[in-house]
Amino acid sequence: MAAKKPKKSRISPMFRRTVSHIFTKPATTKYPFAKPTLPDDYRGKPEHTMTTCNMIDLSGTSRVLAFDVQALVNTNCQVCVRDCPANAITIVEVEGKKRPQFDLNKCIFCNQCVESCSRSAIKGSGKYELAAVDKNSLVIRPQPNAKEGTKQ
Amino acid sequence: MIDIWLILRILIFPGFAFILLLTLFCDWIERKLEARIQNRVGPLVAGPAGLFQPLADFIKLLTKEDIEPRDAKKTVFKFAPLVAFTIMVFAICFLPIDGASVLSTGGFSGDLIVILTFSTVASFLLFLSGWASANPYGTISSARVLTQFLGYDIPLFLIALTPAFIVGSLSIFNIASGFTLASGQLVPIILLAPWAFVLFIITMQAELEKDPFDVPDAESELVGGVCTEFTGAKLAFLHLTRDVQIVFGSALVVELFLGGPYGPVFFGVPAFWYSLWFVLKLLAVVIITEYITTLFARLRIDQVLTANWKILLPAAILSLMLTVILVHWVYPLV
Amino acid sequence: MSNNNIDIVKVIQSKLGDKVQIQLGQLGTAAINVSNGLHREVLKAMLEADEKTGLTAISGVDLGTTLGVLYHVHTSNAFVTIRAEVPKDNPKIQTIVDLIPGAAFHEYEVSDLLGVIFVGNELKGHLVLSENWPEGIYPLRKDVKATEVKLSPAPEEEKAPDIGKLVKIIIGPQHPALLEPEKFAVTVDGEIVTKVEPRIGYVHRGIEKASESRTYVQDVYLVERICGICNACHAYGFVAAVEKILKTQVPERAKYLRVVTLELNRLHSHLLTLGHAGLEIGYETLFQYFWRDREPIMDLIELTSGNRVYASLMTIGGVRRDIKDVDVPKIKTTLEDLRKKIPFYRQVYENEPSIKARMRNVGRLSREDAIKLCVVGPVARGSGYDIDVRKDDPYEAYGEIPFNKIVYKEGDTWARMNVRMDEVEESINIIQYALDHMPKGPFRIDVPRNVIAGESISRNEAPRGELFYYVKSNGTANPERVKVRTPTFANIPSFLQTAIGENIADVPPNFVSLDPCFSCTDR
Repeated sequence: MAAKKPKKSRISPMFRRTVSHIFTKPATTKYPFAKPTLPDDYRGKPEHTMTTCNMIDLSGTSRVLAFDVQALVNTNCQVCVRDCPANAITIVEVEGKKRPQFDLNKCIFCNQCVESCSRSAIKGSGKYELAAVDKNSLVIRPQPNAKEGTKQ
Repeated sequence: MIDIWLILRILIFPGFAFILLLTLFCDWIERKLEARIQNRVGPLVAGPAGLFQPLADFIKLLTKEDIEPRDAKKTVFKFAPLVAFTIMVFAICFLPIDGASVLSTGGFSGDLIVILTFSTVASFLLFLSGWASANPYGTISSARVLTQFLGYDIPLFLIALTPAFIVGSLSIFNIASGFTLASGQLVPIILLAPWAFVLFIITMQAELEKDPFDVPDAESELVGGVCTEFTGAKLAFLHLTRDVQIVFGSALVVELFLGGPYGPVFFGVPAFWYSLWFVLKLLAVVIITEYITTLFARLRIDQVLTANWKILLPAAILSLMLTVILVHWVYPLV
Repeated sequence: MSNNNIDIVKVIQSKLGDKVQIQLGQLGTAAINVSNGLHREVLKAMLEADEKTGLTAISGVDLGTTLGVLYHVHTSNAFVTIRAEVPKDNPKIQTIVDLIPGAAFHEYEVSDLLGVIFVGNELKGHLVLSENWPEGIYPLRKDVKATEVKLSPAPEEEKAPDIGKLVKIIIGPQHPALLEPEKFAVTVDGEIVTKVEPRIGYVHRGIEKASESRTYVQDVYLVERICGICNACHAYGFVAAVEKILKTQVPERAKYLRVVTLELNRLHSHLLTLGHAGLEIGYETLFQYFWRDREPIMDLIELTSGNRVYASLMTIGGVRRDIKDVDVPKIKTTLEDLRKKIPFYRQVYENEPSIKARMRNVGRLSREDAIKLCVVGPVARGSGYDIDVRKDDPYEAYGEIPFNKIVYKEGDTWARMNVRMDEVEESINIIQYALDHMPKGPFRIDVPRNVIAGESISRNEAPRGELFYYVKSNGTANPERVKVRTPTFANIPSFLQTAIGENIADVPPNFVSLDPCFSCTDR
């Protein structure tokens, strides 16, 4: 069954609408001169905050993922590695400890790792301006001897 | 003796450089108007409010690689864009822009037919450029160019002759000056034959291949139309030819119906005011044609043929008959 | 016209009860196990009893020594699966294209990917695999590892058509009229189309095979990426099938949240198609207007799910996040703004002469042809064939939400576009009702990672039509078989028929009214 019929007028409303649009403000957001407003829980880059234990050095980048190394060493759960659909998380050995390494080249920003981590060590962030010139800079490697409480 | 003044007129103003700048400016106006109608911004970054965007596009194309297909007809492929561009610019040089045309001061009788023939040759060259590129899309598109051309060319001539009948002369200068009423006042032709003005705008849409007569350039069916195989400098000139064609068509409307460059002169040199009125009237016509373009969808080729042969041609003949009657019996009394 | 009172299982029982084995409640209303050859008898009985019988999909399964061929058939009020088996060394089975012409593509696909030979409808060449795929290697069989297949050398190129006599126009694979690559060789006589030969498979990524080597959690994201536009429906289809195997019941709030997500997906997809149709007929202004009105919907999807395109909200056991109460007024205002714009577009479609010139009487599909070719979605509803999974087989909260089924009778491009426009308004109504009546409670429950052995199906109404999933599990963390039948796959054969006899210039609008999504078709 069709919905209600429009009223019978022989002239297409496009004539008036196109003229009135000349004097309307455009609907474009002039990115990058004006940034769009994003909701709080936008699914951006996953970020880990250090909860306890060994710190990972910031080295000036704000994009390294840190997480609770103690839990990993103790439980070796590796749930984030198993659940990542893009296989973007790998475990590397840094100074005798097993740490995860996040490859933003492969990450699909689904935030499944945020959900799977039983220690809530991984949090989502709203960062989306992640373009880089070098592929290697997008692989977030755990740094040795990082300070406690730093977000990577 | 070489006349320096004439060479400057040909090359700079109101000749080649002026026409080129006017073309790029009209392109910008079209794109901005189309964008605003569609509720978006249009060119923004290149130059203030995007004014240099058409120039930037032209220069970009000049820097690209020029590829020639192996099976293309070499000579035609190489020279058709350039020759088409040259002929269009040459045709504009006959129109009075600042009170006098580029080449001569008074024109000659019959130059209306000459420039209409030039525009026909330029369309034919566009057809040839599509035909010479060994590409099925180019071939179909050039066949459609010819089919559409057959339909609108006769009405175009007939309607263009209407002002000639009213004024009684085939010289563009005389037509542009307008019709002399019995009281001695000059009026532009649009006031005497407004139906011819409307028909001429519609036929001009068909000649300039803009919506709703956009068929040869149908992007969703024919990829690039006649320009499919062209790259680099040749494509730059093809695009420029398209834009110059728009300026030429609009300039013709201005000369034939809107009284050419003539208008009130306030102070100083008349040539300056004539050029100003010419440009303003040209922009008005460009805005009207662009508005019609954004308003409609594209018709199919058989619908275009129906529109041309069953509607436009009879309308053109009727308009001519009506004009002749009015000229002989009505207007001398006015 | 609708035979809602026929119990199709009883009909089959009475006619062939002694020769077949009927399992009620399995794989739909009932699963019918037949031995080779009897599937045609069952189908004949069903076609005689109910005229709205159509084939939804044919699933091929590798069962070890045999290959299972499952015919999923829908009638006006039931969904029946006919299960047949063929041995691997002689995989021949009788075709059903003479009974249901729309089964041709489905049979080709099972032939291509599993090697079943349908006697009477043999596949020449390949359907979804590439030209240089080695002979005799069927990727969906368990003994084939996708990474170890060596491709044959590329075949020599196709000869370009003769410029002098333009008989065959190749549309695609790269073409401005198509959003995604597929090839259609259109044979023309002057300007009239006489034949269309499709070649699909340019976007085949082997997702069905890839899903067998990933866990269920990972597969939710994998199947979501079969299509960018209808991603929520793919994720939902997979999740619903797995939940049926696990026999879990999701919480009530999760059902309503799922409805909101699916309808937002439908809104943005329909607005996309309506705009794209404008672009195909050269009406760029209409295209820009529709896409401008689509932007607030993308913002809503971003608000509810965190991303403009891939909602990634479905998970096995519910949804991943909740809609906060503070966001509900914003969602409602945006939807009301969209609702106010719909009368303008309806008037444009009614009164604009160039739209009517290009879209009326283009691509006519009669109701009988629609039923025989088993088309789905707005293509079917634009031809008077009133199927809509949300009404025929309600899932999630659709059984409790009132809405209308939109059907037009004309059967041409214009009717299909109008169906989509009216469905936009219906979707707005559904979302507002769901937001007003959202029950409180949890939105997610925990499920085990290893799924018990079993098999199940799920159907849902994607924006383009009925989307069908068949999932078979074997007790491990990875599924055994995931079969997807997408709506565009079922609709492409109708285009091959409607394009004949029309102008070549009508091919783009006709084609885009199908709302083709080739990423879905090829998987």
